[in-house]
Amino acid sequence: MYQAIVFLPLLGFLIAGCFGRFIGARASEVVTTALLMVSAALSWVAFFQVGFGTGATRIQLMNWMTSGALSVDWALRIDTLTVVMLVVVNSVSALVHLYSIGYMHEDPARPRFFAYLSLFTFAMLMLVTSDNLVQMFFGWEGVGLASYLLIGFWYQKESANAAAIKAFVVNRVGDFGFALGIFLVFVLTGSVAYDAIFAKVGGLGEATFRFLGHDWHALTLAALLLFMGAMGKSAQFLLHTWLPDAMEGPTPVSALIHAATMVTAGVFMVARLSPVFEMAPTALIVVTAIGATTAFFAATIGLVQNDIKRVIAYSTCSQLGYMFVALGVGAYSAGIFHLFTHAFFKALLFLGAGSVIHAMHHEQDIRNMGGLRKHIPFTAAVMAIGTLALTGFPFTAGYFSKDAIIEAAYASKNPAHSFAFLATVIAAFMTSFYSWRLYFLTFEGKARWGADAHSLHEGVEHAGTAAQGGHGHDAEPASAAPHHHDDHGHHGDGHHAPHESPLVMLIPLGLLAIGAVAAGFAFKEAFIGHSYDAFWKGSLFTGQGNTILHDMHEVPKWVVWSPFVMMALGFALAFYMYIVNTGAPRRLAEANPLLYRFLLNKWYFDELYDFLFVRPAKWLGRFLWKTGDGRIIDGLGPDGISARVVDITNRVVRIQTGFVYHYAFAMLIGVAALVTWYLLRGGAH
Amino acid sequence: MAIGLTHYLVVAAILFTLGVLGIFINRKNVIVIMMSIELILLAVNINLVAFSTHLNDITGQVFALLVLTVAAAEAAIGLAILVVYFRNRGTIAVDDINMMKG
Amino acid sequence: MNAPFVMPALGPILPELVLAVGALVLVLIGALRGEKSYGLVNGLAFVVLALAAAALVAQPAGKVLVFGDSFSVDGFARIMKAIALLGSAVALVLSVDYLRRENLTRFEYPILIVLATLGMMMMISANDLIALYLGLELQSLAAYVIAAIHRDNVRSSEAGLKYFVLGALSSGMLLYGSSLVYGFAGTVSFPGIAAALQGQSSLGVILGLVFVSAGLAFKISAVPFHMWTPDVYEGAPTPVAAFFAAAPKVAAMAMTVRIFIVAFPGIVGDWRQIVVFISIASMALGAFAAIGQRNIKRLMAYSSIGHVGFALVGLAAGTAQGVNGVIVYMAIYVVMTLGTFAIILGMRRGDTYVETIDDLAGLSRSQPFMAYAFGAILFSLTGIPPLAGFFAKFYVFAAAIEAKLFALAVIGVVTSVVSAYYYLRIVKIMFFDEPAQSFSPLTPALKTVIAVSTIAIALFWLAPAPLVSAANAAARSLF
Repeated sequence: MYQAIVFLPLLGFLIAGCFGRFIGARASEVVTTALLMVSAALSWVAFFQVGFGTGATRIQLMNWMTSGALSVDWALRIDTLTVVMLVVVNSVSALVHLYSIGYMHEDPARPRFFAYLSLFTFAMLMLVTSDNLVQMFFGWEGVGLASYLLIGFWYQKESANAAAIKAFVVNRVGDFGFALGIFLVFVLTGSVAYDAIFAKVGGLGEATFRFLGHDWHALTLAALLLFMGAMGKSAQFLLHTWLPDAMEGPTPVSALIHAATMVTAGVFMVARLSPVFEMAPTALIVVTAIGATTAFFAATIGLVQNDIKRVIAYSTCSQLGYMFVALGVGAYSAGIFHLFTHAFFKALLFLGAGSVIHAMHHEQDIRNMGGLRKHIPFTAAVMAIGTLALTGFPFTAGYFSKDAIIEAAYASKNPAHSFAFLATVIAAFMTSFYSWRLYFLTFEGKARWGADAHSLHEGVEHAGTAAQGGHGHDAEPASAAPHHHDDHGHHGDGHHAPHESPLVMLIPLGLLAIGAVAAGFAFKEAFIGHSYDAFWKGSLFTGQGNTILHDMHEVPKWVVWSPFVMMALGFALAFYMYIVNTGAPRRLAEANPLLYRFLLNKWYFDELYDFLFVRPAKWLGRFLWKTGDGRIIDGLGPDGISARVVDITNRVVRIQTGFVYHYAFAMLIGVAALVTWYLLRGGAH
Repeated sequence: MAIGLTHYLVVAAILFTLGVLGIFINRKNVIVIMMSIELILLAVNINLVAFSTHLNDITGQVFALLVLTVAAAEAAIGLAILVVYFRNRGTIAVDDINMMKG
Repeated sequence: MNAPFVMPALGPILPELVLAVGALVLVLIGALRGEKSYGLVNGLAFVVLALAAAALVAQPAGKVLVFGDSFSVDGFARIMKAIALLGSAVALVLSVDYLRRENLTRFEYPILIVLATLGMMMMISANDLIALYLGLELQSLAAYVIAAIHRDNVRSSEAGLKYFVLGALSSGMLLYGSSLVYGFAGTVSFPGIAAALQGQSSLGVILGLVFVSAGLAFKISAVPFHMWTPDVYEGAPTPVAAFFAAAPKVAAMAMTVRIFIVAFPGIVGDWRQIVVFISIASMALGAFAAIGQRNIKRLMAYSSIGHVGFALVGLAAGTAQGVNGVIVYMAIYVVMTLGTFAIILGMRRGDTYVETIDDLAGLSRSQPFMAYAFGAILFSLTGIPPLAGFFAKFYVFAAAIEAKLFALAVIGVVTSVVSAYYYLRIVKIMFFDEPAQSFSPLTPALKTVIAVSTIAIALFWLAPAPLVSAANAAARSLF
């Protein structure tokens, strides 16, 4: 069964990828989606078998490589953590496949799209079922590749290519750390298999690793390096810049890869390696601090973004920060629980946004929307559910998981815990505000599209339009789908009324909405409640002094209530600013131009990195190209050598004079040289 | 002064050297080269006979006779080729044997 | 010395006897029937070579010494003789059409080939210095004449004259060295020399060895005794150059291997330096000088110098494995060389033979068979797997590495990269340049030779075992 779960998506990829041209787009869609459906159904079976029964196992597929002490197996590690991830990945993937049939129906390259989606799913499954670090790295790079391919899916669009490259390069930074971390773990424990590492890691508490003349605490170093990989993949503070740009990809991709699954790979990795992180308290402080910073910082940016997908992207970034806070304070299960619920409501939000974009003919700027609830009521309803879940409205999914994290942050003994608590609570307020802002601007108020839209849309926070330059909209380029205008008519002049999406897109939305409402309530006890031990069965490790799961239930009442209050305040403020007094946002922005621009430009991280890394790197590249490669390597290498060869040739050929006595002389020289050599050598004896 | 093996060898070595020098110092005439070759072969024969006597072994003298025989054949063929060449070019100056080079 | 005269056993020298008697009969026929007897004599010469080959194949395995131990018939001799006979016979086949078109149909030509082959067989089997000298001279004297066989051509006669003068000088050096070795070892027999030296080298022996090496290096055209090669190949008629490049090289190489391995086994350390020196010099010069050539025969001359250098890498190892490499190398080299010269002989427009590389331009369009065959041969000469040339180089380099001659192996590989330049340039000219005037169709004989040699080198990797195991056994017979 587990083999089927993992390899059915691969099969789908191979069919759609290799034969997509021959079997056609429709067949590719049906095949990949059906296979994913089967895989998802089996995942749920596995989830209940393993999570609520006994069935944790290890399935050896083959020995991958053996070289000296390094032995890497290809095996499926099936435990509760794995099946949770299986459910998340396969469910969302299956729904996204289904949704894409509707969303992408105008695109001529659908077989390629579905092949990539299935490839991504396979790589992600390899990652979550990995039994050792090398296999995880394989999956890790596999999802990175699929992400790259899908972000750049509309390769005719320059911004999409740039975003794909950016995602790839930023992830390289993280992967470099991850690879070094794997090496260090191998050096320390002599193995890359989890079981062997976990068995040995307990005895390595005092181990040090000498590097750059300083003895480092080895496990801290290893954990930090591994976390660096997680930061890249999960778009944490400093390595987050690729995620918003990744919204250049088609919206289903954003939902699957850049919200629900791939970006949580970092969270999964830290949880999977919890025995290592538990032994490295310093590293956990870093994890907490980075997570909290990300949660806060991404939320601030989300406040002012105008692109519907970017708002959700920053929200994702922020929520990932929450997960890392949970991991950092030792509440691994809370982090995974949030991962689990977040997958549902964030995928829901993205797919809902996709539905809006679809309805608006690829308009993504929320300033040009408004009043859509009457036109696309189903989408509006599910978006509202998603927003409730995200903001943590009581008894929705986010309520359980996010509040658990905030409580854990308060209860923790981690030195960074008070910062983490503050950051997450404030971020909860901002989350609520930007989420409702998005909802109100999109679905409520007056329509700012269509014939009479122009004057209206001037009115709504236009202060920062100029500053927003440089970020292209992610509207599909005309060249990608030449017939698209014929089907849909006009793009910008908007005489067309928005229309509700087809059923094939609405079904996934409905299912995800159910998940967004019920996932928290249904699985709370299992993930972080009383059946913790029975559910996880040791697949998450907590150290001896780690009593966080107990402590977090005993926090003061005001702590429990704080996220709810924050949510309510955020909702109220958004309601005031975007429904009651629609002039307020503009006045606020004009009153604080510096802050507004700072947030709108995302804390100027792109500019900073451009200055710090991109330009020096380009300069270095140009230097190495012109001087290093052109002048030195080519000059002394290929070109130089070939010139020298010709010189030698000319000289040698000139020796061949054609005169017999020269030839005889050469022979004599040869004999004389050899005789001299032997005489001298004889003398040396 | 007793004439020993060394003297013969030195004489042969001198003859050999003369022969070799004659081949590549001479720029005039191919006939001189033929003669130089004969000189080299004679040096060899002196060597062989001297060693043969010194070692009290007849092989060297047999070798010398065979060398003489072959040298005769070689001279005949060399002269024949020289004649052919002269017919084509009208010269046997060593400096003119320079059609092919490089 | 009253020992009764015993008739020497003639069985082991049957192939040589066939050649000797055959040559005499052919001379008689030629003398009696006059100038018009070329066709008959040529056919009969081919028959004689075939008979000799048959006699060679029919010989029982094992080692036999005859004529007072001066003539050794062993596995090594047999395989090298087979290669030499093959080379001579194919060279004879290649010559027919050329000689007819150039009006060179003289019956002396096939007879001289047979005599040269006889000389080669004697060189290969020679087990003392005298036999070696006689075989060498027989081969050389015949070769001088056929180099100048085009009597009315100034280039041909110049080639003959140069070859003769330098050949005589090298013979003189060889003889001088032989006399020194004889004097200081007290014997001319190879095993006797080995026994007399007992692993110790005196200065006299070393001097003799240097001179002998010079003479041998001349015959295999190794640097710096190679200078005759390009001029002779260019000046001599093309089939003669084909003959020179193939069979005599094999014989001279066999002779070199035998004298070093059998007569001087105890002082490998001393002679290895000579071999390494001329090997490196040959590989390097062959690679560099060939780049500057426009005449394809001249280019092949430098190529053959380079290949001799590679074969010497195996000899430098001084082990059975190295000798095995040399044998394999020479066998594959002969096949590649004959194929190449068959192509060169195919470069004919009407009755005019052309020889420059530029004449091959665009051959892939006018004569695709020829172009693809030549391409395969050139890749093989470069040493690109899986063609036979790769295996040839592989075995000698493997032996060198086994003998810890790393620098030699590395230099060999580097020069083989340099040599790739001029081989691949020909490929480029054939396949990518604007077509030159196209050639006349290939004759059936040329076509057969080209096809067989191309197939042999292209498919060698499928069944390398027969050649390699035979070479292995042959190499062991020397130790």
